[in-house]
Amino acid sequence: MTLSLAPDSRLRRALGSEHLAGWAFALPAVALIVIFGIVPIVWSAVMSFQANDLVSAPHWVGVANYRALLHDPAFAASVRHTLLYTVIFVPLSVAGAMLVAWALNRKLHGVRFYRLAVFVPVVTSTVATGIIFLWLLDPVFGLVNFFLSKLGIPAQGFLSNPNQALYCIVAMTIWGWLGFDVIIYLAALQGVPHELIEAAEIDGAGKWSSFRSVVLPFLRPATLFLVVWSTISALQLFDEIYVTTRGGPLGSTTVVVFYLYQQAFQFFNGGYAAAIAYVLFLAILVITIIQLKVGGRRIYSNT
Amino acid sequence: MADVSFQDVTKQFAEGTLAVKGLSLAIPDGEFMILVGPSGCGKTTALRLVAGLETATSGTITIAGRAVTHLSPRDRDIAMVFQNYALYPHMSVQRNLAFGLRQRHVPRDEVERRVAAMSAMLGLDELLRRRPAQLSGGQRQRVAMGRALVREPKAFLLDEPLSNLDAKLRVQMRAELKRIHQRLNITTIYVTHDQVEAMTLGDRLAVISGGELQQVGTPQDVYEHPANVFVAHFIGSPPMNLLRATASAGRAQAGDLSVELAHVPDGPCVLGIRPESLSLMAPDDPRPSLDFDIEVVEPLGGELLAHGFVNGRLASPDASEETPLFTGDSESRAEVTVKLDGRLRLKAGERVRLAVHAGEVYAFDAASGAALIG
Amino acid sequence: MATPTLIGADRPLDFEALPDKRPRHWPFSPWHLFLIPLSAAMLLPLVWSVITSLETSADAQRFPPVLLPSSLHFENYVHAWNSLPFGHFFLNSFLYAAATVAGNLLFCSLAAYAFARLRFFGSNLVFVLLLVTLMVPFQVVIIPTFLIVRKLGLIDSVGGLIVPNLCGVFGIFLLRQFFLSLPVQLEEAARIDGASRLAILFKIVLPLSAPVLATLAIIQFMWSWNDFLWPLIIITTPQHAPLQLGLSMFQGSHVTQWNLLMAGTVMSQIPMLAVFLFAQRWFIQSIAYTGIKQ
Ligand SMILES: Nc1ncnc2c1ncn2[C@@H]1O[C@H](COP(=O)(O)OP(=O)(O)O)[C@@H](O)[C@H]1O
Ligand SMILES: [Mg+2]
Repeated sequence: MTLSLAPDSRLRRALGSEHLAGWAFALPAVALIVIFGIVPIVWSAVMSFQANDLVSAPHWVGVANYRALLHDPAFAASVRHTLLYTVIFVPLSVAGAMLVAWALNRKLHGVRFYRLAVFVPVVTSTVATGIIFLWLLDPVFGLVNFFLSKLGIPAQGFLSNPNQALYCIVAMTIWGWLGFDVIIYLAALQGVPHELIEAAEIDGAGKWSSFRSVVLPFLRPATLFLVVWSTISALQLFDEIYVTTRGGPLGSTTVVVFYLYQQAFQFFNGGYAAAIAYVLFLAILVITIIQLKVGGRRIYSNT
Repeated sequence: MADVSFQDVTKQFAEGTLAVKGLSLAIPDGEFMILVGPSGCGKTTALRLVAGLETATSGTITIAGRAVTHLSPRDRDIAMVFQNYALYPHMSVQRNLAFGLRQRHVPRDEVERRVAAMSAMLGLDELLRRRPAQLSGGQRQRVAMGRALVREPKAFLLDEPLSNLDAKLRVQMRAELKRIHQRLNITTIYVTHDQVEAMTLGDRLAVISGGELQQVGTPQDVYEHPANVFVAHFIGSPPMNLLRATASAGRAQAGDLSVELAHVPDGPCVLGIRPESLSLMAPDDPRPSLDFDIEVVEPLGGELLAHGFVNGRLASPDASEETPLFTGDSESRAEVTVKLDGRLRLKAGERVRLAVHAGEVYAFDAASGAALIG
Repeated sequence: MATPTLIGADRPLDFEALPDKRPRHWPFSPWHLFLIPLSAAMLLPLVWSVITSLETSADAQRFPPVLLPSSLHFENYVHAWNSLPFGHFFLNSFLYAAATVAGNLLFCSLAAYAFARLRFFGSNLVFVLLLVTLMVPFQVVIIPTFLIVRKLGLIDSVGGLIVPNLCGVFGIFLLRQFFLSLPVQLEEAARIDGASRLAILFKIVLPLSAPVLATLAIIQFMWSWNDFLWPLIIITTPQHAPLQLGLSMFQGSHVTQWNLLMAGTVMSQIPMLAVFLFAQRWFIQSIAYTGIKQ
């Protein structure tokens, strides 16, 4: 395409300006994000004040959805399950990952193999993870019950026991997440000067305290990131629940997003689901801000 | 090839810095013009205005008689060598050279012919397949020049191109630049803060300070007839000694030096004496003279530099409204530098009497810094 | 999971730099006592699923479990493959992942370059708006997005999977940060050489951004390939399902046939595993490539 315009004509100047080029470059992305990001965010907010069965015309109900949420015992239960899950999953997975990364960050025979073993679950899909753990934890034929029987422990219900199911989900998701956290920590450990690592490795008393005072500050940003990010993901737990327990047994693993999914796409309470989504969004926002404030201050005070 | 001109060009950056103030400068076709001035004076900005990388806030820039003030760089047909060369790191030397021609849809065989010619001229034949990371500093410099010149641009812009080279290579490249210019005769604008480069390379030089043009002329002209105290101090190495003086009845007095300067009006003024305009006074020397206490002697072989003190007060070369010439230290001893015959055996602590060469004393207005010309 | 992210990606892990090149020849380190059981525990689920996938249905339903099957029944894989349209699942997942990777690379590059280098009307405001969407969890937008996709007639189609995911804010942000770190003189030199903005992006900026483009491609591919919730909501026909949803459908129809279920599961994980092993090397090479300094 050759426009035969005089190079200093006004039109040519306008065409060549950064405004036009900038918008031409940004437009496809901005259009996509407006249509599938910004419009839905606003629409969802509107919807949370409506009764909407996703089929017929919605009508306004004011704050009725939010008021109903306050008095919905099923929602309260789902919040409890979600928080319990998060409070166990986040510290265990992050602290465990720090330990594993510390172990893997050294010259050791077979360390490549150990690393691979830790990383492989990262690329295993959540659905596959769920199915595999369902099999491992099968109350009748499961391998884990077989190991327990060798130890003289009676067979457990695991995912079919309302008192155990959520903890099984924790174990399963830690298995799936550990590698990701370890990769982040290994990257962070690369930034720690070698002498410091060696100092913290020297045997004898004060090993832990030297690790804590010398190496840990270097890992703070990575830790903060992992805590924030795992918390956000934990609050949005869904796939593994859907594949393994569908919220059961006896609703013991019904977490917020699963409840939201049921309300929206099984009971077609679009407005109610939108209200749940906004409450979740708000909760994530508040928790993240608190974590960043607290964690950021600790990072700041330590450097 | 073409002439380039600035007509009352001003550039103010968004956050307020006035980098170029009312610059007017005409560069005829084929001239090697140097923009010289201290760091931060707006040289690079002036060059980028010609290139089209910045747009003038007001005024007009022309290339080959055509106003280009609002054209994009690619419509100006100029070429530029950047201070850090800015070679495309992912392309071979060959592709670096060819890139501009390709972008302008020059036919393939023509591209090859021109790249080959340029590489022969600059001695790059061995390097064509290499990437920039595999080249030495001097080689990168050559490639950067080749990339600019291969397009046969209307004007050739260079921004401190030698500043990243070591001293020896710098001298060598200086000669090469001169040779290339003589051969291609392209209008060239060369930015430097180094007054040696400015003196040796240019047909003419434009001295800039604080975004304003101070003086334009041939190197000899600017050296011999500096327009103001800033130019006088900036051009010449070591810089001109500046002393506060008082004039009355055709004579100016600075410390124990008294010179006859018929054209200087009565009142305060600044006397300028270049280090090379002083020599040891012979016993019956009739020239004006002053006492000099040697503090440090730097032998340079054929010449020597002596640093020391004379009676009198220094004047500052920064002639701006906020800092008049007579501010700064008010010691009654002024530090001066003198360039003398290298065969002299002088010692630190010695006091000698220096004579001032006839007709080599400059006088400047104490308020404006402008030269007072007889 | 909502947005794919990997903040660590601003400094990708360089495996070559990790201290394992020349192992000290210690006969034994206590760390082995920790790492061997850990590796066993991490690999056990996968190993066990492979073993089960090769057993007969009768062996799989036995307690205590048959740890080493007497014969290997590879036909389980054939049965699994034939019992649901696994060929479609793979194809759909591949289309979904490839199209979203391509879309993100193209659209994010263009937008990221605009936000990094071009001063255009409203750019700051728009950029802030985009960043805000980055903080909103997927659950908030899921219902309206479902309604929009339904309006577009893309429900129950691979197109409906792809279109909302063609361009993510995360990609724009990641690339913009990288573009900002490139020396601007290179682009100025190219402008003077007569290159248009588009030519600068494609001939100068993108070739120098290979590592970050690879990072974006890998993360997006992994995310699309393993995506479950969105397909679950818009896809109903098995022929249109991507792999993870297909696997879940397969689970629903073979609840107690653990050997077939494991065969299907193992089968579904192999491509991603291969890509992962390949991508590890890619990261390292990318870093070596950016090691070129002027
Ligand atoms: N892009 C810019 N934005 C704002 N100020 C700038 C910019 N570029 C240069 N300046 C300012 O303009 C003045 C002149 O800069 P420059 O032309 O680079 O000087 P020189 O090349 O003579 O050292 C300086 O004060 C500098 O800080
Ligand atoms: Mg400069």
